[in-house]
Amino acid sequence: MSALPQAAVVAPTPVDSPNRRLRVVEEPSRRRRPKLIYGIVALVGALSIGTAQMALSILTTQSSYELSTLAQESRELTWHKQILFDDVAGLSSPQYLAANASALGMVINESPSYLRLSDGALLGAGQVSLGASSVDAIGRAAVPNALITDTPLVTAPGATIEGAPVEPEVVVTDGGVSNTPPPLTDGLPTPSTH
Amino acid sequence: MTTRSTRSPRRRTVIALAVVLAVLSGFIIRLVDIQVVNADTHIADSMKVALGASRTLYGTRGEIVDETGQTLAGSILLYDGVLDPKNVGPLTRTDDDGERVQVPWSQIAGEIAAITGQTAQDVQKIVADARAEDPDSQFAYLQRGLTTEQYRALVDIGAPFLTFDSHPARTYPDGAVGGNLVGFMGIDAEPLAGIEKSQNDCLLATNGALSFQKGKDGVVIPGTELEQPAINGGTLQLTINRDLSWYLQQLIAEQVQDMVAQSGSIMVVEAETGKIRAVAEYPTVDPNNVDASADADRGSRLFRNFFEPGSTFKALTAATVLDAGGQTPTSTVVASSRETFANGARVSDAFNHEAYTYTLAGVLIDSSNAGISKFSERVDSATRFDYLKRFGIGAGSAVGFEGEQSGWLRPAAEWDNQTTYNTAFGQGLTTTVPELVGAYDAIANDGLRMPLSLVESCLRPDGTVVEPTLPEPTRVISEQAAAQTREILENVAIQANYAKQIEVPGYRLAVKTGTGEKSDGNGGYKAGAYFTTMIGFAPADDPKYIVVVTLDEPTKVTSSAANAPAFQKAMTQVLKTYRVMPATTAATLLPKFG
Repeated sequence: MSALPQAAVVAPTPVDSPNRRLRVVEEPSRRRRPKLIYGIVALVGALSIGTAQMALSILTTQSSYELSTLAQESRELTWHKQILFDDVAGLSSPQYLAANASALGMVINESPSYLRLSDGALLGAGQVSLGASSVDAIGRAAVPNALITDTPLVTAPGATIEGAPVEPEVVVTDGGVSNTPPPLTDGLPTPSTH
Repeated sequence: MTTRSTRSPRRRTVIALAVVLAVLSGFIIRLVDIQVVNADTHIADSMKVALGASRTLYGTRGEIVDETGQTLAGSILLYDGVLDPKNVGPLTRTDDDGERVQVPWSQIAGEIAAITGQTAQDVQKIVADARAEDPDSQFAYLQRGLTTEQYRALVDIGAPFLTFDSHPARTYPDGAVGGNLVGFMGIDAEPLAGIEKSQNDCLLATNGALSFQKGKDGVVIPGTELEQPAINGGTLQLTINRDLSWYLQQLIAEQVQDMVAQSGSIMVVEAETGKIRAVAEYPTVDPNNVDASADADRGSRLFRNFFEPGSTFKALTAATVLDAGGQTPTSTVVASSRETFANGARVSDAFNHEAYTYTLAGVLIDSSNAGISKFSERVDSATRFDYLKRFGIGAGSAVGFEGEQSGWLRPAAEWDNQTTYNTAFGQGLTTTVPELVGAYDAIANDGLRMPLSLVESCLRPDGTVVEPTLPEPTRVISEQAAAQTREILENVAIQANYAKQIEVPGYRLAVKTGTGEKSDGNGGYKAGAYFTTMIGFAPADDPKYIVVVTLDEPTKVTSSAANAPAFQKAMTQVLKTYRVMPATTAATLLPKFG
């Protein structure tokens, strides 16, 4: 680059414009120092956001472990529930009820009789139940249920719904509460009342 | 002022910048390629290899419940134990003293066998067989269908080569009660028979899935679970009553054994609605243990069998001539025990008698073939055929049970001289028990035959109740003809020779027996072997329930009298179960002879 050519320019004769007036330049306003407080707020804000995020993250992680533990617990309880459900399956069946009732000596009565409340009239034959049941629910049980084939009856622990004898379980006698009542020495025990 | 010295570093800067830019743009392109262009593939890979996991959420197959809501079929979970034969071997355990000891495979096999009910040899054989077939085999079923208790006990052994798959399975709390109807499922949760199969649409569950991402230690990363819930199957309610079904099953079993019959069945239908309240059969199937039953016993004979009905059809002929032939219960014919008709057909009765002047009621009381044949002449064959059709004979039932048969009835034009009369007393045609009950329902229900039904409703998981669509009831005979037929059938129950056997004290019954001949398979009849039926309803003046008892080839008593004790007990139990009040009015006695 070469130096700029020096040219003499003749300044035009200044013409006073009627609108132009000279005025005093105002003193430039002094630049204010930035306030420290904003910086602090921003920094604290950023930090607290960071901390909160971290805290939340820790909490979420924590609870996800907790969830995992609870899920495991819930699984175990479900298994437990299933085992218990399997244990009682079939006990609600009519075969089981009828066999239990039969073992107690209950019979299925023949024709029903009804007592009319309005006038006390007896409707039906009004016969007593005969000794024999109309079906033999335990001696000739013919409605099988594989779920309870080996389940002892409640009322006759020595038999099953099919009337077959069950192997008696070995009763553990040491410890536990005995079924045999203690011998009475001082007469019948009486509750003390006030 | 460009000089050589200033030009050179500038160029170098430019070149360096260009190189940096080129490398940078290379990175940018790669970054865009990874993050944008192929992002999905990479995410998918990461899910597949490391993070992603998913689990099947099994929906529960719907329950089958009875009329009162008692469960007939429910769902449980069972487990399949799977061995990894390649890796089967001794286990290292810590004993009581805290020392690590090796437990040999034979002992582990013994522990496993004690839980599954096999022998140690069985378990070892499974592994040995699998290895013999393929030395690298990693899959052999130890046992399928393990219970939860067995499964947990096996897990406690701590064998890494033993894994488990859980799958939903069925349980039938009441065993064989209703087993013939409910049906059963295969081990792979395929419905194989009965309602389980035919109503699978209602019961079927839709499996869902739970997908999630997991961290290094297997813990689910929060917020990544995406659940597509499983949809449970609907609850199917049947019209049958399980307590009544149990009683009737026990009853028919005893009766079949007492009479040394091949099989037997009892069916109970509510007269006003056509709802089936019980289908008891013997022999039958316990869906919990299907293998214990013979193939032929695994379904419902009652729906699958058709038979020649015999005298139970006399009631249908009587209803026809009352409705269309201008007859009354006291109209008469003269019939002896052997009659030869104008067209050459010969009809004889089961007992010898001279020419009696029978009333229509008397013909049914004595179950005279000759008598009902003479009455059948009061209407033409085409009319009788038409009435049989309207009674539903040959059309099956509205139940549409799996494998259900229908009777066989030729058009009147094809009836030969003998068949024309034989059809009046239930020969020369076949029917099924549901058809027969449907026909009697028309008599019991004021001439209106209700379609039989077995399914009450399907309750879907979203709460909607779907009821099966049934055909419209059929008007078969007039109310008056129905009432007259009921009166005749009530007189049968009072005056027939088995009246004492079927009496239910306090109640008015209507009844008719049938002793159907059985085909010997060569176009003739089996000698001395019958399919016996006893069908009736109570109370006779306002029928609530229709009960039918059948026995196939009873041998102690070969006639339909074999059914009487079971019919009496069945009817008594039905009346008790549904609290039907005893009669307060007396029956009108009709004369047997005119």
